[in-house]
Amino acid sequence: MLLFGLDLDYVLVIVLFCVGLYMLVSKSNLLKKLLGLNVMETAVFAFIVTSGMIEGGDPPILVAGTAAPYASPIPQAMVLTGIVVAVSVTAVALALIVQIHAHFGTIEVDELKELP
Amino acid sequence: MKAWSLLLVLLVALPLVVGVVNLPTHDAPDAPIHTGVGVRYLERGVEETGNKNLVTAVLLNYRGFDTFFEVIVIFTALAAVLALPRGSAARPGGFPEEAAHEADGAGGRPAEAAREANGAGVPVSPVVSYVVRLMAPFMAMFALAMLFRGHVTPGGGFQAAAVFAAIFIALGLVLGPARVAELVPDDWRPWLQGAAPLAFALIAAIGWRLTGAFLGFPTDDHTAQEAMGLFLEVGIALGGGVILARLFLEMET
Amino acid sequence: MNGGWAEALPWTIVVPMVGAVLTPVVAARRPRWAGAWAWAVLLAASLLASGLVYRLATDGPFAYDVGGWAQPYGIELRFDHFSAWVLPLLLLFVVIVPFSWRYLDHVMPDERRPAFYALLLLNAGGMIGFCVTGDFFNLFVFTEVVSLSSYALVAVGGRGLAAFAALKYLFIGAVSSLLMLFATAQLFALTGSLNMADVAGRLAEVGGGPAVMVAFAAYAVSFMVKTAMFPVHVWLPDAHAIAPSPVSAVLSGMVVKIGIVGMLRVYQVFFAADVLELGAFNQTLVWLGAISIVMGAFFAIFQDDIKLMLAYSTISNIGYIVLGLGLASPYAVIGASVHVFNHALIKATLFLAAGAIIHQTGLRTLSDLRGIARRMPQTSAAMAVGAVSIVGLPPTAGFVCKWYIALGAFESGQAPFGFALVFGALFIFVYYVRMLNAFYFQEPVHDVVLEAEEAPWSMRAPVVVLATLCLVLGVLGGIPLAFVEPAVLDLLPFWGN
Repeated sequence: MLLFGLDLDYVLVIVLFCVGLYMLVSKSNLLKKLLGLNVMETAVFAFIVTSGMIEGGDPPILVAGTAAPYASPIPQAMVLTGIVVAVSVTAVALALIVQIHAHFGTIEVDELKELP
Repeated sequence: MKAWSLLLVLLVALPLVVGVVNLPTHDAPDAPIHTGVGVRYLERGVEETGNKNLVTAVLLNYRGFDTFFEVIVIFTALAAVLALPRGSAARPGGFPEEAAHEADGAGGRPAEAAREANGAGVPVSPVVSYVVRLMAPFMAMFALAMLFRGHVTPGGGFQAAAVFAAIFIALGLVLGPARVAELVPDDWRPWLQGAAPLAFALIAAIGWRLTGAFLGFPTDDHTAQEAMGLFLEVGIALGGGVILARLFLEMET
Repeated sequence: MNGGWAEALPWTIVVPMVGAVLTPVVAARRPRWAGAWAWAVLLAASLLASGLVYRLATDGPFAYDVGGWAQPYGIELRFDHFSAWVLPLLLLFVVIVPFSWRYLDHVMPDERRPAFYALLLLNAGGMIGFCVTGDFFNLFVFTEVVSLSSYALVAVGGRGLAAFAALKYLFIGAVSSLLMLFATAQLFALTGSLNMADVAGRLAEVGGGPAVMVAFAAYAVSFMVKTAMFPVHVWLPDAHAIAPSPVSAVLSGMVVKIGIVGMLRVYQVFFAADVLELGAFNQTLVWLGAISIVMGAFFAIFQDDIKLMLAYSTISNIGYIVLGLGLASPYAVIGASVHVFNHALIKATLFLAAGAIIHQTGLRTLSDLRGIARRMPQTSAAMAVGAVSIVGLPPTAGFVCKWYIALGAFESGQAPFGFALVFGALFIFVYYVRMLNAFYFQEPVHDVVLEAEEAPWSMRAPVVVLATLCLVLGVLGGIPLAFVEPAVLDLLPFWGN
């Protein structure tokens, strides 16, 4: 929707992205940083899906209940792939955090920096 | 410190907002997305691919190459988790490379020992345990339904994989990872983990034989197309599900 | 567009990937077979890649439509002169993998080997895909394959510090990947297409404007992070120093170059569309490159740990490449493109030689490794050759490219940057002299150094081969330069200043 001529949907997506970035950068706990990364990823997916929507559109499944105009199928496919990629990154990050915890006993960056 | 973070975030936000508000309005029918490449998928997708679900058509037929490497990405995550050491027992007699650094050494106990040390993990209420065990077959049915109806309704391989993995994970939380790990026999495990990329490679080769193009689907033979598409979906569901479940089971503190 | 060797394009990417997937199967009974299997797969992929380069050399650039869908409705793979990097990349892997067979003995228990080699193969496959794809979203997916495998490869050694370095790399890398995804989505929203050639055409219709500029900027920043340019280089030193040495060679030699290749691809698209005024951007690249050169070299001087020194040296050399690209004159860009390969070769030599020394003695710092040259003469000689190459003295590989970049600086009227280049070379000279002095002319301080033996042949052979190539390519330096020239000259009319 438009607000003051700005596409509000898109602006909100960027706000979400920045919330995630702030979490990633300013939090000290590694898990919280990872969650910030996840929020950023979700924001980008929201951006992609929003861009594919169309006014009064139906899902791009051509069966009896749906009619033109259809939302574009490509962004949906992009996001499906993107979600799998995000899950993979999260999995690797978690494995690394587990390894850090096993060795140092902490997952706070402040404490990790204090170590020799 | 927080002030610097805020500054950085604002610095990043500004160009992004500028870029994004200058895009063509997204739900206008004349936006570039709706007049671009997607038009052909909407007009000829069903007849060229036999899939009424155009997202599946894009995922498997038109841009199947992307999906191939997407399943490779999730396999990479599993390879990564398996390559990283689990546990923190210092190896007796350390390695030269580690001796120069901190005293708590590296290396991991063999995976089996680590798994034995973990029972059900968290004490679980009998209500939760009962409900999960009751729901598991229904979840499996739902996953199968999504898988096989993926070409006419929302659904498909990845969604089914997620639900399959959810079954494993929920049961793992309730019964303990060791019990659930037994569900996938050791011999089959490497094959199942690779099921998705291998399915893609196989269909790519078959497509090469049938149409001369890598990962090509014969547009005139709908039965063959459906069969190939279904094979891919099953591969994705099996491979993806096993990998996601294994990712969960391998994370231990 | 399909036919002949073009058919091999998708298989060149798929062979290492499927090889990676099958590694756990192959190594199920004997984990140590994973190393040999990885080597075999990479050899097969190299054969395919040589066929591709042969076709390129005889017929020129070619493309392949995956799935038989005409462009732009499917995914297009395209092999041009910049994609030819794929062949030297694979050959470097073929030399590095045998080194790892014995090296890993002291890094990880056998049962983790299959996963390690799977990651290495995935890394290789991802990089190949990155260099040959003609589709933006495909580019993103390959970037993720490369990045994910790299994060994990840094931490396989198992120490907590390695995991921390890998996690830092992961966070920064994931943000840059997200920026790339955002840029892809932005371009898609602007043009409705994901195929690179098609986007170039449609962008020309769309014209310039803030949205296009932001898309370009997002790509640029994303690739800057991947290639560890100043100021977003902070993830590199720890990650490359802590990784096991064969991994360091792969990361410093090849994975960081992904950012350069990506930047070239984006340049190709945006220049063909001719909608942006890129002079200011190029100038920024020149400045950042020059700062990277001097800063990387400066920090390297103060390092005691050899691998940290080599890691900072990578930052410095990436600065050279970026400087060359930003100068946008024929000599500079050709020099920069060839330096992508030459630096990979030299850095691999240095990291593998350093790894052999670390493996044999367990020591990593210059002060500890004094006098090692007496006990490990071949490895130290290789290290010396690598050092001379990276400083850029003739007749080694490093000389030709740096000479070209310097020429480019003077040719395009930016003489001060030519001096930055020479300055950087002097700094580099200082720390490598320090290193060679320690190895050759100082007295050993540890018993372990006094009793050290040369590395086993499976580790020594790759090191010697690489060092020899450094010398050979110095003498035969003209060949890669002539090879890259057509691609660069194609690009340059659009480059503009």
